Amino acid sequence: MGGYGDVQMLNEDGTRMDGRRPDELRKIEIEAGVVPVADGSARVQWGSNLAIAAVYGPMEAHPRKISRQDRCVLDVRYNMAPFSVTDRIRPGFNRRSREIGKVTANALESVVQLELYPRSKIRVEIEIMCAEAGTRCVGLTAASVALADAGIPMTDMVVSVASGKVNGVVILDLNKEEDNYGDADLPMGILPNSGELVFLQMDGNLSPEDFQEAWDYNMGAAKEIHEIMVAALAARYGGDT
Amino acid sequence: MGIPLVPGLLRDHLNELAERDERVDGRGRLEGRPVEVEVNPIERAEGSARVRMGDTIVYAGVKFQIMTPYSDRPDQGGLMTSAEIRPIAGRNWEPGPPSEESIELGRVVDRGIRESGCIDVNGLCILPGEKAWQVIIDLHAISDDGNLFDAFALAAIVALRNATLPAERFDVGEDERLELSCTPIMCSYHKVGGRFVYDANGEEELGGDERIHITLGDDGHVHSLQKGLRGAFTAEEFDDIMQAARARRDELMELVESLEQD
Amino acid sequence: MGDSGDVGQLVIPGDSLGEIGERRAGHGVLRRNGELIATRLGHLQEKGGELSVHPVHTTYTPRPGDLIVGYVEGMRSNIWFIDIGGPFNAILPMSLAAGKVDFGATREYMDVGSAVLCRVQEVDENHGAVVTMKGMGLRKLNSGFIDRVPPHLLSRVVGVEGIMLKSIKEASDCRMVVGQNGRIWIEGDASGTRLARAALSVIREAGHRPDIESRVRGILEA
Repeated sequence: MGGYGDVQMLNEDGTRMDGRRPDELRKIEIEAGVVPVADGSARVQWGSNLAIAAVYGPMEAHPRKISRQDRCVLDVRYNMAPFSVTDRIRPGFNRRSREIGKVTANALESVVQLELYPRSKIRVEIEIMCAEAGTRCVGLTAASVALADAGIPMTDMVVSVASGKVNGVVILDLNKEEDNYGDADLPMGILPNSGELVFLQMDGNLSPEDFQEAWDYNMGAAKEIHEIMVAALAARYGGDT
Repeated sequence: MGIPLVPGLLRDHLNELAERDERVDGRGRLEGRPVEVEVNPIERAEGSARVRMGDTIVYAGVKFQIMTPYSDRPDQGGLMTSAEIRPIAGRNWEPGPPSEESIELGRVVDRGIRESGCIDVNGLCILPGEKAWQVIIDLHAISDDGNLFDAFALAAIVALRNATLPAERFDVGEDERLELSCTPIMCSYHKVGGRFVYDANGEEELGGDERIHITLGDDGHVHSLQKGLRGAFTAEEFDDIMQAARARRDELMELVESLEQD
Repeated sequence: MGDSGDVGQLVIPGDSLGEIGERRAGHGVLRRNGELIATRLGHLQEKGGELSVHPVHTTYTPRPGDLIVGYVEGMRSNIWFIDIGGPFNAILPMSLAAGKVDFGATREYMDVGSAVLCRVQEVDENHGAVVTMKGMGLRKLNSGFIDRVPPHLLSRVVGVEGIMLKSIKEASDCRMVVGQNGRIWIEGDASGTRLARAALSVIREAGHRPDIESRVRGILEA
């Protein structure tokens, strides 16, 4: 991040290398109920990202040591398939994946009504099958739909998206080159109905004005993404009344 | 892997069904579940496939790396198959180091591909003694409802058939398609209720006994056989399965050929 | 279930259901900042001033008195751990087993994977459940088959005054016991079991539809 500010990432008309406007999202498609053996699941195709999330539970919390008397625990795993990136990832323990699993769990625990299932656990499995910048956001968004698909009670959905900056211009939803050569990356996890945040990270260098703009881009995009999530669930369950 | 609950009643029920030549989902003894195949769904892989058999869903991805040939085989590249059944695939799959099952899955599929010679490891040489291609097939299960073996094997061969060597990215020439000399296809048979059935689903695997995996190539050539789990079978039983495998292999080969992408 | 309220639009967690006004928050609905919000994926239902969500999925939550079908998942010298299909296992103490069991002999009596018909004795405030096999008809299930139906569709399986269950039993000539935890024991010959399972399959797929009774009848009479 940084040090590449001279790379030209914008066209003369202000559009980005992939033709998007600065405030435009990549194409997002969401489908619920894609893992037949799971209690709930979702597939998110976001640009070239492909994430599949599945939920199992609530179930008995094994091993005993993770069980809590007063509430449910979320057992979240985030994993990238070896073939999901240009340079193959060797399977096995991965620090980055472990960290993302943890912050994803924190975000989701803020909305799941954990107190309804004491001494139980809910497994959330996030697999990134193809990666193209923003995988943690795609994974969190997929997990949120999978939890709803599984019938897990939550106070809101979680929508996750990131913004950044290239060539002095704040942009929404970074693609791979923009993430590599840009000045900043601000991923957020937003509750669309209350506007609160459950996930926030930032890397790079943003002035106060740019930070506000990136923030606003994310908040604005959250509404659009939320609609796609709703449509995915409605496609599976709605219209059958 | 966590030990799945094996309700004792399941085996009895499967036996009872077998006596009437029936299966839990109403299929014929040698009938497979509906098969769906998607070619190259993963942009970042050099070749990939998604296979669905009933409710079993898997992905295979082919990645190429440059390796230094072994000193005793300076003209040869390498082939590696790795299978991972992540917890996403089922309630009973637990996180942790590869289970015995996943290791066996990877090895059985690997054997089928390797022994068929469909990939000419000499043809993977770029610069003798210095550079050669290593082909890595990663098998990734998303939903396990039985018979990961055949799903993995089919996904692997479709991914290979549609794979492109990324020579330009490694600056060793022009991209070109990976060439295969034949098409090994696996058919697996499980003994359920005392008789062999094709394409066992999750319940049948749970309540069944030994299994046999047969990999056949072009013109009926046999490339690998593997028997798994405890139990014994007769020569007649084997002949019967072999015949079924030949027929099924032809059906799947037609499907694979119909998917070709240029 | 009774179903006297209209089952309406699909809602997802977080959806605002408007200002509280005169309404009460029922199942799957939360009061927050003067408005009602949905917390579950399901269909909105309003009955007698109470707004609730009829969920598309339910997890079984044990209540004292429930008749359930459980699986033995583990044991100690004097208790068994029973998988009841809910968020946590129940325990079956040796003293509540069907017959006399010697201390340390739990495994011989019922091993891992055994299926049992038992009743929920009590549920403590931490949602820990104790089950008992002392009671009429409660026993280890040594034969038959166990099928599954989501708990919120069980009322469809039983029907008004038990009519649906009776029809399925008669048409299939099977003994059947409906566990409140969504597990249904079926015992009969292979074709009868298949018929019963087919009826349950229809209920699983289409149990929420108003024409479910005629659909099941179609299967049973075919």
